[in-house]
Amino acid sequence: MPTAIPLPSNVSPATVANTASLLRIVALLLISGAAIASRLFAVVNFESVIHEFDPWFNYRATRVLASKGFYEFWNWFDPTAWYPLGRVVGGTVYPGLMATSGVIYNILHSLNLPVDIRNICVLLAPGFSALTAWATYMFTKEMKDESAGLLAAAFIGIVPGYISRSVAGSYDNEAIAIFLLMFTFFCWIKALKLGSALFGTVAAVFYFYMVAAWGGYAFITNMIPLHALVLILMGRFTSRLYVAYSSWYAIGTLASMQVPFVGFQPVRTSEHMAALGVFGLLQIIAFAELVRSHVSSQQFKRLLYISVAAIGVLGGLAFVGMTYKGWIAPWTGRFYSLWDTGYAKKYIPIIASVSEHQPTAWPSFFMDLQFLIFLFPAGVVFCFRQLRDEHIFVIVYAVVASYFAGVMVRLMLTLTPVVCVASAVALSSLLDTYIDVREPEVAEEPATDNSTQGAAPTNGTNGSQATTPASATTTTKKAKKPAQPTSALGDLVSLVTSKTGKETVGVFGIDTRLTVILNALGMLVFFVFHCTWVTSSAYSSPSVVLASHGADGSMHIIDDFREAYYWLRQNTPQDAVVMSWWDYGYQIAGMADRPTLVDNNTWNNTHIATVGKAMASSEEVAYPILRKHDVDYVLVIFGGVLGYSGDDINKFLWMVRIAQGVWPDEIQEPNYFTPSGEYRVDERASQTMKDSLMYKMSYYRFAELYGGGPATDRVRNQQVPKVGPTLDYLEEAYTSENWIVRIYQVKKEDPLGRDHKTANSFTHGKKRKRSKPAPRRKAIAG
Amino acid sequence: MALRWCTSLPVLLLSYVVCSLAVEIQSFENTNILRTVELGGSQVQITTTFAIKALQPNAKTYTLALDVDEQEKTSWLEVRLKGQQEGLEMAPREDDTGRYVLLDVTLPKALAVNGTANLIVDSIQTGATFPWPEKAAQAADQALKYRSDLFVISPYKTVTQKTKLRSPSPGVISHTTPKNVESFTLGDPVTKSGATITYGPYQNIPASANSKFLDEHQQRVIIHYSYEHPVLEVTKLKRAAEISHWGSNLNIQDEVVLRNAGPTLKGQFSRIDYQHSSYYKKSVSHVIPAVTLHLPAGIRDAYYYDQIGNVSTSRLRTTPSVPKGSQANQYSFLELRPRYPIMGGWNYSFTLGWDAPLADSTSYDSKSGKYIVEVPVMTTIPGAVVKEAEVKIVLPEGATDISYVEPFPSTSWMFTYKTYLDTSGRPTLLFEYQDLTIKHAQSIYVSYKVPFSAHLQKPFAVSAAIFISFMFTLVGRRIDLTLHKQKVQ
Repeated sequence: MPTAIPLPSNVSPATVANTASLLRIVALLLISGAAIASRLFAVVNFESVIHEFDPWFNYRATRVLASKGFYEFWNWFDPTAWYPLGRVVGGTVYPGLMATSGVIYNILHSLNLPVDIRNICVLLAPGFSALTAWATYMFTKEMKDESAGLLAAAFIGIVPGYISRSVAGSYDNEAIAIFLLMFTFFCWIKALKLGSALFGTVAAVFYFYMVAAWGGYAFITNMIPLHALVLILMGRFTSRLYVAYSSWYAIGTLASMQVPFVGFQPVRTSEHMAALGVFGLLQIIAFAELVRSHVSSQQFKRLLYISVAAIGVLGGLAFVGMTYKGWIAPWTGRFYSLWDTGYAKKYIPIIASVSEHQPTAWPSFFMDLQFLIFLFPAGVVFCFRQLRDEHIFVIVYAVVASYFAGVMVRLMLTLTPVVCVASAVALSSLLDTYIDVREPEVAEEPATDNSTQGAAPTNGTNGSQATTPASATTTTKKAKKPAQPTSALGDLVSLVTSKTGKETVGVFGIDTRLTVILNALGMLVFFVFHCTWVTSSAYSSPSVVLASHGADGSMHIIDDFREAYYWLRQNTPQDAVVMSWWDYGYQIAGMADRPTLVDNNTWNNTHIATVGKAMASSEEVAYPILRKHDVDYVLVIFGGVLGYSGDDINKFLWMVRIAQGVWPDEIQEPNYFTPSGEYRVDERASQTMKDSLMYKMSYYRFAELYGGGPATDRVRNQQVPKVGPTLDYLEEAYTSENWIVRIYQVKKEDPLGRDHKTANSFTHGKKRKRSKPAPRRKAIAG
Repeated sequence: MALRWCTSLPVLLLSYVVCSLAVEIQSFENTNILRTVELGGSQVQITTTFAIKALQPNAKTYTLALDVDEQEKTSWLEVRLKGQQEGLEMAPREDDTGRYVLLDVTLPKALAVNGTANLIVDSIQTGATFPWPEKAAQAADQALKYRSDLFVISPYKTVTQKTKLRSPSPGVISHTTPKNVESFTLGDPVTKSGATITYGPYQNIPASANSKFLDEHQQRVIIHYSYEHPVLEVTKLKRAAEISHWGSNLNIQDEVVLRNAGPTLKGQFSRIDYQHSSYYKKSVSHVIPAVTLHLPAGIRDAYYYDQIGNVSTSRLRTTPSVPKGSQANQYSFLELRPRYPIMGGWNYSFTLGWDAPLADSTSYDSKSGKYIVEVPVMTTIPGAVVKEAEVKIVLPEGATDISYVEPFPSTSWMFTYKTYLDTSGRPTLLFEYQDLTIKHAQSIYVSYKVPFSAHLQKPFAVSAAIFISFMFTLVGRRIDLTLHKQKVQ
């Protein structure tokens, strides 16, 4: 056999195998190292701190678990959240993440390694990303081979789409969920391939872990049944499928029901019905197979028709009936918004108000996946080449995840693994072809004709090109070369379709190989650069700590959030209730340790709407609401001084919309726009806007900062009125250094029974308008 | 070695309830008492000079009297002869009236009749001042009140005595004019010149450490003065010093709860006013924007964080280690800026720690084979008084023959503490103190032995653990648990 480069001949196969296995281990270790290291930008640039919003709750819960033990955590009722309602945390949380950290914490401490629980939480996501890389390796190995596995592991290790949810400090459910997702899928594939009840059970155990860890478990719950269903429809029912699915479903469902937050949902809600249906279908089919092996085919056909029709009708009726009766819960709003992207905006503004629930923009596909997004379709096509059961899984997964990723930004996360797997399959096929040192036998005409003709009919447009090399095969290799890469797709399809003539199809020479391999390497290198850049610049900001860069590139830390939260923690009474928009609820609970009205666990829309109403109303209207909820402090985020765009004025319209959903008579969105329909904060802002508590609290004494000069809001680039708003019912209690966080104290009722407006004008020596009655007392009484 | 005064002493005092209430024979006479009070924020320094004359031969024990109220405030007291550094020995005993405490000072040599000596009593009072008005607006000035007794009491007759109160700034707002002192003075009972208020001189005061005099003549004087520095108070200080021979490192970590004990903020904090006043350099005296600390030379890896993370606003200027025995006073400076300016009545808690080369504070005595390590009780925060302090010294694992010398008495415990990869735990000393002032910034000396085997304990334990896990894997991989053997194809 001719080879492109000389190969050593005296190497034993055992040495080759051992070296390959050692190299794989080293490569996997390096990939793990790279995956962990690239997630540490946030720690290096800032510090070991918990990021964003939800992680603060998870961190707080983990601290409870670590300090008080698992049973205390299980029964934890948090009276400080959703004041005055409280929250049963143990029953309304996916405890997988906290339990994982708690177990790690306890193991380390039993070894006398006094690692702080915060550091465990911060570094959990990077650690699990290394495990994800390994799980992806195992999964892809089942698809193609080890080298594709390694590529997939490397991709998932550094791809921004996954890093975005797993940088150090991003202590969220997704941190461990992607590992569990991939590993469950791997176990499922393994169970399906071997027909092994053991792997089915392992899949069920990891499915249980996934259920305990992330609400996105429903993706597995529907993905595996869908795969099974597709296999059945393709006529690929086997006893292996039956064993794998039944063991996974039975054990997995029972196990998942042990999570209190999930409870009876697996048998009562529509999202889980597909899994149950497929389970039933599999039993029927297995039974039918059994029957078929005992009766004649004629009888069997009739029997089959009748029973299929009867069971279908019965099943459908039962499902409708049970939904109607309320035994099966109908689809939830979040689920509807997966099918109709406009649904949430119309009916559930609180879901639509979250930025990560928005449909994905095209550039973010490239940003998160770079060249993988181009390789991804190629990889899926490669799956059609062999089309084993597991390839069907990847194809189904690719289709479903692509759709979901297009609907919601955050579901990009579920697309990323399959993109990595498919791209790795494609790229590894390419590399396999071109790194393979074997050269084809010097072509004899009939053989090459076969291969090209095999390609021609499948690819009509390339017909003319395909004939060109056929006629030129007698010439030297050089003539053949340019024809080969002319059409990558044609080449690919020919690879897919033709299985004959393995030895006669191949690559000649080193230069050809180098061209392609270097190209591929170049793409990989650019991918690494892209990933590093995106990770460091876009995904590694803790958002609790902001950074600005000076003209000389020096970094200046803006720490207003923690400044204000720490002030609250140290200098207000322990039971002072803080009202803020729900985004900051978890942070206040975590950092300031004070009761909050609403937080990021948005379970009570009315309560949130109440806060929205208080923020959107005038002081007189808001005051009774604040007093009734025992609010002591109101906290707003204001970016106008610094140009921090994620502030409350920019979120204000969502507050209005959510409040309007509950009180359509009192709060109307159009009132907050100028007559020409603009959203403004300057002189031309509408009176309702200027009277609203949010506007007043944001711009209170703001104009004075400019000492008489034009006071410009740097976020909205508008000049606010020179005479700023005045406050009667609240007083400024604290404003952070860069004015990002402003805290106001709610005044207690006037001891003389006046309303605060009158009291204020009295202290300022103004005459009371005679015509004005005091309507406030009535409102308080009511 | 002087026995220094501490408020934890009442326990000790009780055991002293003295039966030796001998007949009061006047063995001494005070020819002159001069008390100088340096008014301050949370600490007030008092120097009292007693010019004494012996009336009896062989007079060796001079007795000081201290009002109970004053004794409670005094957190440091030292008696020495004028011109000498060494403190004199003191033995406290309680008077059964319960209104004052007596201190027996043993003079270095007995005085003959009419022999004279000058005794200097240095003391520091904490909690003796209080802000007045109790609440102050953000831009208002700060004023404090100091309360004291008019007469320095003594069990002996006093020929003449005088009290000087010196305010740090000329702004003395008001002071009490004592009444009914005509029997002691002919001139003004009190004079004020600039920042100094002088009470006296008062002549021919009888023995005053008795209920009769206290009831008839003793009275309170109150000075109201403006004070232009913040009044700092450390509510709780927890220091942990961890000695590591493997890392040749002394790690010291302080957990500090800082409080502005000045007048509490009236109304609310206004950022814009604060920014304006700092822009126009009209800094307000009672706000703490930053604190500068003197840390030891040669430290590294300093860290400063609070309950919610790193505080990135501080600056550290380190100085290299000073060779042992050199007299140079060199420090590393830490400019510590809290997250927010600490207004009156506000709290701020933080953790500050650093690593220092162990050689800087340890020495090895090859004769006895003992290490001696020096651990400072506290790092002074300028002007602050430490209400409660806890010093924990963690010795290396396996240290034996532990003994310690502390600069002043405390409550202490010893226990073992398990941390980083320990198997048997580290012996740990814990000391508890109250009301520490600038004079208490001294060191505890601990000596201990570490046998060579103790050094090897940790690497041995770790390698044993790794070895066991390897063996386990080795064996585990060779056990076949398959139920059905696959047929070899």
